[in-house]
Amino acid sequence: MKETVTQPRTSSTPTTPVFCTIVPPHILGKLAEHEDPEHHEPARRTLEHDALHRTRRAGLAAQLLAPAADRADADKPNRTVYDAGHQQNLPGTKVHAESDGPSKDASVNRAHAGLGATFELYLKIYGRKSIDGAGLPLNATVHYGEKYDNAFWDGERMVFGDGDGQLFKDFTIPVDVIGHELTHGVTQYTANLDYQGQSGALNESISDVFGSLIKQYALGQSADQADWLIGADLLAAGVHGQALRSMKAPGTAYDDPKLGKDPQPATMAGYVRTADDNGGVHLNSGIPNHAFYLVASALGGKAWERAGQIWYDVLTGGHLAKNAQFADFAHLTVQAAQTRYGASGAEHEAVVKAWSTVGVTGT
Amino acid sequence: MRIHISRTGGFAGIERHAEIDTTDRPDAAEWQALADRAMSAAHTEPPTGVPDGFRYTLTVDGKTAYCSDPHLTDAQRELIDLVLKEGS
Repeated sequence: MKETVTQPRTSSTPTTPVFCTIVPPHILGKLAEHEDPEHHEPARRTLEHDALHRTRRAGLAAQLLAPAADRADADKPNRTVYDAGHQQNLPGTKVHAESDGPSKDASVNRAHAGLGATFELYLKIYGRKSIDGAGLPLNATVHYGEKYDNAFWDGERMVFGDGDGQLFKDFTIPVDVIGHELTHGVTQYTANLDYQGQSGALNESISDVFGSLIKQYALGQSADQADWLIGADLLAAGVHGQALRSMKAPGTAYDDPKLGKDPQPATMAGYVRTADDNGGVHLNSGIPNHAFYLVASALGGKAWERAGQIWYDVLTGGHLAKNAQFADFAHLTVQAAQTRYGASGAEHEAVVKAWSTVGVTGT
Repeated sequence: MRIHISRTGGFAGIERHAEIDTTDRPDAAEWQALADRAMSAAHTEPPTGVPDGFRYTLTVDGKTAYCSDPHLTDAQRELIDLVLKEGS
């Protein structure tokens, strides 16, 4: 079985590992087809074990390899949008290339524009060429599933559902959602934070932070003008709420009979211990989200400049461990603020104070 | 037969639970067959899944197994859709 999962490394294979327990779909498919548990169960265990080791090997290889050479035109986006046609097969049918004019499909146009806005922030502000830093083509799939209430990053592309129209609208509508998904790609190619527990909540928070910054940059907003909401235009008419998450006031984004109440904590006092959602990665992300908001608000002006730069330095600096905890991340942001802006600067003070306010100690 | 589905994670991080009891249904045998196919391909431990992907916990007559988007089999997808739609 080992040979069947060892993929040859090609020029198109990412040089950094993808998420560790993504078993290739064709293998899952084969396993699923197998009727006899005596065959498929040991095989599945072996495959998962191999996948884990393959990832570790890929991680080691990535460290040893020189940075990938830039693709031609790495400073220009190369976007392709696919249409899943309300099925759940990825990537779907190619419907829009970089050089194409506007589509008749608004979801396609929004995905294309959102990919562009994300590419632009990373390039213009942080000097990063696409999500891998070397001009990786950007792919998105729209119209995934039937009335599908979600968007996700599958390790290679952003995938968007249309929403059910009752609770959620089309997930391509908020540009911060598009920025959020692509930032999962940036994290995958840099710190590659484990999507579990506190490192998973940091992974989620980093996607919210840069998702919000992409929106603020596109709108030209300063920290005090921004709404600091995630998914502000996503809730369907009649749903009681402003958005899915609030970085300014975690736990206050919605309170609705059907959706329930926004469960995010803003500080460590409310830290949620749960086995669900990979250890509450979408809940506890409220804590680092709020810390970022506090830093950006204390500094004022454009949040992507100093606050965003400090966070970006930590994400891409090479010292953030895959299994980093909140305190590890906080410590690195304090160091990054000091390195870039000096120990006596307002930036250093703002970062120290923000983590203290949300109850993350040991910075 | 009792089939319980819980869905966690997703971009919104909002949980959904639904249960269906097939005992008195005329199509109980079809539910049984679908549930068996879905369960046989599911994991004994929750897979890590992909960022923002839905995570599912399937419990059929007290036996629990796990799967996550986008790597569902057709049977898992069908069972999850049906129970979340028709269950309470």
